[in-house]
Amino acid sequence: MDFNTLLTSNTPVLLDGGMGTMLQAKGLVAGQHPELAALEHPDWLEDIHRAYVDAGSRIISANTFGANRLKLANMGATVADVVPASVAVARRAAGDRALVALDIGPIGQLLEPTGILPFEQAVDIFKETVRCGVEAGVDLIFIETMADLQEARAALIAAKEVCDLPVMVSMTFEERGRTFLGCPPASVALTLEGLGAAAMGVNCSLGPAQLLPIVEELARWTSLPLILKPNAGLPDPAGGGYDITPAQFAEALAPATELGVKLLGGCCGTTPEYIALLNTALSGRTVKANAAPVPPAVCSGTRVVPIDRVRVIGERINPTGKKLMKEALLRQDVDFMVRQALEQTEAGADILDVNVGLPGVDEADMMCRTVKAVQAVTDAPLQIDSTDPAVVEQALRLCCGKAIVNSVNGDQESLTALLPIVKKYGAAVVGLTLDKSGIPQTAQQRLDIARRIVAAAESHGIPRRDIIIDCLTLTASAQQECAAETLQALRLVKQELGVKTALGVSNISFGLPLRPQVNQNFLTMAMVYGLDLPIINPNAAPMMAAVRSYHLLMNIDTEAREYIAAYGGQTAPAAPVAEGGQRTLDEVVRLGLKSEAGPAAQTLLSQGVSPMDIVNGTLIPALDAVGADFEAGRQFLPQLIQSAGAAQAAFEVLRAHLSAAGQTPDQSNVVVVATVKGDIHDIGKNILKVLLENYGCTVIDLGKDVAPEEVVAAVRKHGAALVGLSALMTTTLPAMEDTIKLLRKENLPCKIMAGGAVLTADYAAQIGADFYARDAKAGVDIARTVFA
Amino acid sequence: MTAEFTLSAPDTEEILRYMGMPPEQADEVTRTLAADCAEQLLSIAVPRWCGHIFDLSFEPDGVRLDGGLLLGGQDLKQHLDGCQKAAVFCATLGAESDTLIRRTQYTDMARALALDCAAGALVEQLCDHIEGYVHAQHPGLHSPYRYSPGYGDLPLGVQGSLLVLLDAHRLMGLSVTDSCILTPRKSVTAILGLADSPIPTHKRSCPLCPNMGNCQLRKTGGHCGF
Repeated sequence: MDFNTLLTSNTPVLLDGGMGTMLQAKGLVAGQHPELAALEHPDWLEDIHRAYVDAGSRIISANTFGANRLKLANMGATVADVVPASVAVARRAAGDRALVALDIGPIGQLLEPTGILPFEQAVDIFKETVRCGVEAGVDLIFIETMADLQEARAALIAAKEVCDLPVMVSMTFEERGRTFLGCPPASVALTLEGLGAAAMGVNCSLGPAQLLPIVEELARWTSLPLILKPNAGLPDPAGGGYDITPAQFAEALAPATELGVKLLGGCCGTTPEYIALLNTALSGRTVKANAAPVPPAVCSGTRVVPIDRVRVIGERINPTGKKLMKEALLRQDVDFMVRQALEQTEAGADILDVNVGLPGVDEADMMCRTVKAVQAVTDAPLQIDSTDPAVVEQALRLCCGKAIVNSVNGDQESLTALLPIVKKYGAAVVGLTLDKSGIPQTAQQRLDIARRIVAAAESHGIPRRDIIIDCLTLTASAQQECAAETLQALRLVKQELGVKTALGVSNISFGLPLRPQVNQNFLTMAMVYGLDLPIINPNAAPMMAAVRSYHLLMNIDTEAREYIAAYGGQTAPAAPVAEGGQRTLDEVVRLGLKSEAGPAAQTLLSQGVSPMDIVNGTLIPALDAVGADFEAGRQFLPQLIQSAGAAQAAFEVLRAHLSAAGQTPDQSNVVVVATVKGDIHDIGKNILKVLLENYGCTVIDLGKDVAPEEVVAAVRKHGAALVGLSALMTTTLPAMEDTIKLLRKENLPCKIMAGGAVLTADYAAQIGADFYARDAKAGVDIARTVFA
Repeated sequence: MTAEFTLSAPDTEEILRYMGMPPEQADEVTRTLAADCAEQLLSIAVPRWCGHIFDLSFEPDGVRLDGGLLLGGQDLKQHLDGCQKAAVFCATLGAESDTLIRRTQYTDMARALALDCAAGALVEQLCDHIEGYVHAQHPGLHSPYRYSPGYGDLPLGVQGSLLVLLDAHRLMGLSVTDSCILTPRKSVTAILGLADSPIPTHKRSCPLCPNMGNCQLRKTGGHCGF
């Protein structure tokens, strides 16, 4: 018997049931660790496994659910102690009657961004467990009870990189149809199938009745065999148990075979009796084939974007032709990228292209940082835009969900380098219809290249639904005849190959006057010819108007709901202006009116006031006045921050003005800020950052949970004269002290200020800080002293 | 223990206080911001909780739960004086509120601060509901105010053990970092003493306030009077 043979028949496969409750029934008391049962009570464990095999289980899970190094360390055990012992016990009970799975549960700490465990560390933790399991001779791997898709990904990638055994993955859902971390079944299905799971499903949390709709939704998004291991109903409000009997359980669960569920068992509260009755209820049943085709779609961990209509790919995170973006990349300003991401999703982008390639920038490092930061704040799926396979692979590892890779082309070299990576991580891929000899003139020639790309992708096991062809836009002012050819190619590719299409649109108008109107019209034409994924600037209103109008006119946006939601009520005048005309920049900053700050700065610029005069003559005095009021207790923190926000908006206008004139602002006053290792309370540090930037400091923000070595490296690299460290917890103050010690040990000529809720002036002095920053305003005053 | 509660938008004045703004001096813009953030936070938060009632035994080094976990230190022991049992629970607003606060910090720091404070107020409201539920289930019992790890000499380090004890990772997706920070961030673990007969009421002071970390009033020597 092997797993693949079990899977190929159409009979249901019985898994086992609960372990924790069984161990307690055997005599495990509170405070004893079930993870150590194989070491402390192997006889109990073997009895339980055997009871499940006797009840009909064909696959049993070894007692390795919590056998990872983080959890075991708290119990004084190691993975090498627990896993082989647990597998051996299961194997003895299974004999040749059942397969033994290495059971892998959550690590117990949350991954970034909700927690602080880095993705690669999670992969490493899982690899250790898998290696031990494989050496102990398990037949398959069963990753289960996962609430975070990113953690499930880490475990699955670890398993696939360590061994060739089949891997089943099961997640746990709440009744609202999402996991604790907000992942819907569709994201789970698209992602796990892409990564090469052998089967996927749902376990724990609820009873069969509540989980059936979730598994039904899962079935719509995958063709893999499905798993269902519910609890013995819902927790009984009266006590510690669950609310349905073995017979009710079996009766409710058995019909799941109609939904394509192939592997059935129980989770918390279920016992061999539940499994035995389930076995009886399943006899004679066959598993309905899960034959419906999976819809083309991409996703993040929390949001699915089906490509069943035009979906906008935001193009703004790309330095080509963008001065401010280039400057931001060179100073490693990830916040800039994140703000671009947020602006675009706000404007209506469904998917975000991420391209950070620029000479002088470590592309892989910047790509990883950007992907992490962007997916920490938006739920838009990402399109990884690079032709460097190493960059693409590193980005795809971190990308939670099903991403798009942009791009391969018809060149054998490009296909060979990138397609295996696309396949490994289950991404979709954009194929450009060009090759070594350039972009072909005719639609037919582009179709030929597209055909080659599709064949190559399919030969790597990438399904056609994940292939997107870009027929390439050429500039109409240079090659006027090519616009129509691109449109023809689009139509041909769709008709002949049945793939989805993408197109960068705005290149069409290069060199022409009034570009937006050309772009908008070309976009509309392309959509009519079958464009699915326009790669555009969603902040350009005419472009989004074209997409929304298209959906309206094609009866995709039924009852014009989306159109009206976007444009209804737009007859009212836009931004409110104060009675008696526009406010001055000074007033705007004092009042903290962010939306009016940019225009007010623009007004001064247009009156011929130089940017530096605006900073020194208006912004700084206004901020000083607010700061003085804050100190005197006439104004309060929210008002100080609102003023800082308004000043920041004005600075952005000034920065753009300087940049357009080929100048960059003075960047000599460098401050490195960080929330120390182990601490993730960073809002105070972020407030300080905004204030420091107001006063002309260049702030290198290392974020939260920052190791002392990272602070040292940044201070050295940027020649910072001042370091700001924050910690909010008593438990992380030692990390602050360590950071200061290391900075001193390395003899860096910088001043250090320390702040945070639990910190006092005395303690700051005691751990060697030069200054104690009581609040963000005090931090600014310190900086001004240092840079005076 | 389990039950679902309908939360309401947290009180604007409480949010303003958490933001370091005396409510009576709040301007209209800030007041509107606080009210608006209260609604937004409520609309995205996914509150969950779990808990259990334990028998207490008082020992020289602390208080023991059901003969198992020892909660070390003298302050909690003194605080629970007169109680025979305690409800131990944890509560969270879920990862969604963390994401919203994180996102807003990129675009509007004042709003992010207001959301952060609204979340603090909302998780307290959830704890109030849980406290009410415990008393509804066990009428006639008396309680001192609820107590959390990190108060007095009860170490934060005990949070991990409390989560294991309550199976909080499996039941509600709550975990704790090596430096004892609960994740998702807007989460609370609490101990609510239960006594058969009335016990003297203690007044909460700054070191016991859940907002001590953010409180601007305290830093400037003020006190909210709570």
